[in-house]
Amino acid sequence: MELKKSQIEYMIADLHRRGLVYQPLEEELIDHVCSMVEVRMEDGMRFMEAYRSALTLFGDEREIQNLQQQSLYNTYSTRFAMINNYLKISIRNLKKHAFYSIINVVGLSIGLACVILITLYVLDELNYDRHHDKADRIYRIANHIRFGGNDSWYAVCPAPLADALMSEIPEIEVANRFRSWGDFLVKKDVENFNEEGVIWADPEVFNVFTIPLLKGNPEKVLKDPNTLIISESGARKYFGDTDPMNQTLILNNSMNYKVTGVFQDMPVNSHFHFDFMLAMEGLDESKNQVWLSNNFQTYFVLNENADPGRVESKINELFVNHAGPQIQQIMGKTYEELENEGAKAELFLQPLLDIHLNSDLIVEFEPNGDIKYVYIFSAIALFILILAMVNFMNLSTARSADRSKEVGIRKVLGSLRIYLIRQFLTESILITTISIIVAVLLAILFLPYFNNLAQKSISFPFSNPVFWISLILYAVLIGFLAGIYPAFFLSSFKPVSILKGKRSRGAKSSLVRSILVIFQFAISIMLLIGTAAVYNQLNFIQNKKLGFNKEQVIIIDDAYVLDNQINSFKEEILSDPRMRSGTISGYLPVSNSSRSNTTFWTKGERTMENSVNMQKWIVDHDYLETMGMEMIEGRFFSSEFPSDSNAVVLNERAAGLFGFEEPVGQEIQTFRFQPDNSIDEQELETYHVIGVVRNFHFESLRENIGSLCMNLGQSTSKISFKFNASSTAAVIDLIEKKWKDLAVGQPLQYSFLDQDFGKMYAAEKRIGLVFTSFAILAVIIAGMGLFALAAFMAEQRTKEIGVRKVMGASMGSIVFLLSRDFSKLVILAFFVSIPLAWYGIRVWLQGFAYKDVPGLYVYLAAGLAALFIALITVSYQSIRAASTNPANSLRDE
Amino acid sequence: MRKTELIKGTLQTIILKLLSDNERMYGYEITQKVKEMSNGELVLTEGALYPTLHKLVAEGFLTTETEKTGKRIRKYYKITNLGYVFAGHKIGEFIDFIRMMSQILQIKPHLS
Repeated sequence: MELKKSQIEYMIADLHRRGLVYQPLEEELIDHVCSMVEVRMEDGMRFMEAYRSALTLFGDEREIQNLQQQSLYNTYSTRFAMINNYLKISIRNLKKHAFYSIINVVGLSIGLACVILITLYVLDELNYDRHHDKADRIYRIANHIRFGGNDSWYAVCPAPLADALMSEIPEIEVANRFRSWGDFLVKKDVENFNEEGVIWADPEVFNVFTIPLLKGNPEKVLKDPNTLIISESGARKYFGDTDPMNQTLILNNSMNYKVTGVFQDMPVNSHFHFDFMLAMEGLDESKNQVWLSNNFQTYFVLNENADPGRVESKINELFVNHAGPQIQQIMGKTYEELENEGAKAELFLQPLLDIHLNSDLIVEFEPNGDIKYVYIFSAIALFILILAMVNFMNLSTARSADRSKEVGIRKVLGSLRIYLIRQFLTESILITTISIIVAVLLAILFLPYFNNLAQKSISFPFSNPVFWISLILYAVLIGFLAGIYPAFFLSSFKPVSILKGKRSRGAKSSLVRSILVIFQFAISIMLLIGTAAVYNQLNFIQNKKLGFNKEQVIIIDDAYVLDNQINSFKEEILSDPRMRSGTISGYLPVSNSSRSNTTFWTKGERTMENSVNMQKWIVDHDYLETMGMEMIEGRFFSSEFPSDSNAVVLNERAAGLFGFEEPVGQEIQTFRFQPDNSIDEQELETYHVIGVVRNFHFESLRENIGSLCMNLGQSTSKISFKFNASSTAAVIDLIEKKWKDLAVGQPLQYSFLDQDFGKMYAAEKRIGLVFTSFAILAVIIAGMGLFALAAFMAEQRTKEIGVRKVMGASMGSIVFLLSRDFSKLVILAFFVSIPLAWYGIRVWLQGFAYKDVPGLYVYLAAGLAALFIALITVSYQSIRAASTNPANSLRDE
Repeated sequence: MRKTELIKGTLQTIILKLLSDNERMYGYEITQKVKEMSNGELVLTEGALYPTLHKLVAEGFLTTETEKTGKRIRKYYKITNLGYVFAGHKIGEFIDFIRMMSQILQIKPHLS
């Protein structure tokens, strides 16, 4: 007996009415019921009778529900099928709401890309100097000296210290010294190269550090005077493919050195990089017994299990024992007496592994990193990531109204809350996984830019499994963190209230969401204010009156290679009408030029009170004119006064410290240094003051202006020329030509005073760039979140807007209505961010002796910028919503 | 119907065995076949049958194929290779169970 189509349709509809919804079961059950009905009709029943009978046997609505629930449970109780199902539904959901998915993915990828790059950076910074086998037992000895009211921290120690350490302190396994003379000129045949990485080293260097030798015997090299070892790349540069062993190199045009070994290039992650190590044996200074001059970087290896604190105090005892008699001899006082007068020389230990991030002493080998940057970068990465996660949370909870029906049906069908939570977590983990993939691509794309920003040469550790594993962990962890709140929130809905048609709390319970939006914008505004503050300070530095004129001054380095032709070089250049003046002096008011500290006292009895420790700069007659400084009393050096050879010009600060009311004509004294840098108590030099120069900034604006004096002399490491504006190219041409004539085969290196001045603020410019980059990212992410949120809100209020328009609301009033709420949040965020930004700026500016505290307008500008961006974002959505035809939005009512 | 409690544990075995012997069957057919073989004494409820079938499909012991018959769609179940093995295992398990129970209860059922 065949059933009619209408009869089957009747049964399908009836079964649906009785709650048959589970699709995989539907066809089957219908077939089942049909078969039952057919059998009964063959027995003579009429259709309705047969159907009713079948249904009684089959069970009521309750039974149907039970059946579906059981099937669902059985099908998905196997793990794989379960995950498969979660994934399938997640993908469907993401596709269905492509707009929100894209906002989520883009925001998260940007955040994650930041995190990936910054993690690489932090790992790189934390892994300095770990390649030495004894890294955790190596210490450097540094020096804290307080004298004449000045505190200085040096990375260098007296020459005899290392030997004394090894012979007198049993806890010290071995020690070695380095001595740097700065740049060297190196040549093999004719052409000189300027080399930075040249160092004198003790042969013990191989026992302290791990420096693999590719050629030569570590037991023998660096022992004989006039021998050196060279790095692999250095060897390639000078000798190409030929064997460098036993070849000769000429240093500074005068010293012949034999190559006795080749060492592996030092890793990038090292706080020093040498290309040439010269045998210390050839350096007379290394053998002196002077305990009062500090020129040697000294490293040692501590025995295992020895206590560094105790060794530190032993080293200080040792120092006082040796240096005490020399102090007595020179100063006429014991060390204790000096200490009571407030002077001090204290040695302290720096663990090797701390040097890169935590040491910024005088005479470091290279500028070190700074733990501050590690903190700043990490904090910013975390912030950006949180911003992106907030977008995710906000969108998920806001859209909960959309999904509440789904939650209701699922719950009615017997889905447990835990299944729903798993479903939502799967969705968020899926999104983060996609984002991680995009993020890695973004990170690869922006790595060069980031390297520039962080001054690094980081590459991607693609071959490192840890990298991949941590990426996967990131995806799961972040997906979990971002998804956990929406998951619990959405799954907590009560099916009865949802299905009765009550709006879920999603759209309205906006408190958490508002707080998160405020948080996002507070961070964005903080970064904007930070950016403004950094540029404000940089601008201040650029325009500060420095006490000298940095414009149109060219500086030529290594001028000493001109030897006795230096004066004729200067005269010949100056004969050109474009040049205004020139001076021969290595002492310039920018860092990276010569410095020398000496103690002077007013003529007569020497006491702590009348002593002043100050910079002593050696200059020539034309210095003042070339640098554009200004005399406020007396006169500068002049060739008309032969007696100027022992005259001195003070700066205001020095004159003040001496307490001179009439500085001109006063006389001051100091020790005359012996050729080996030692001091003889009896030999003094006396200078008479001929003038006072207006204070000028010779260090960066982070420092106060120190005391300084100038006197005439030979300091030939640099020549500077002042030239007329708008002839830079011609001036360079001229200098190059003359240099080639007079300094055959020597490399010409020049720079401009204003550039060198700018370089002192490279760190600040970097911070500025960091803030700009990340502020832009933060604003983009927060803006995107707001954009999506606004879109959603406008969608929710479509009907309300329709009704308002019908009632005669203008478009403007509707845009205002929709934008008002978000604007309030941004303004609140502004007030939250002000105190934090203010505090941050204060801390940062503390590093500057001269600073421009940003005024209120800087804060206002940043706040207004954020508000403006927020308004544009929101108004796009509001205008779209406001301009829809109310007929469309109200048609279905 | 009286034996529901005891049947519960053996439902899978019954279905697997039936499908081992028949190439393919649909749900209603299975209920009828069981009813027929038990002389009407054992009637499978839909509430027990379909969830079990779905579970066996999810675990890979059965596959399904649908076919249009007359005016409606019919879903057939077939056993997989894995299902054959599992069926043998289940039957063996059941024989062991009977043997054990008969020892405990001191009865002597005849097992063919």
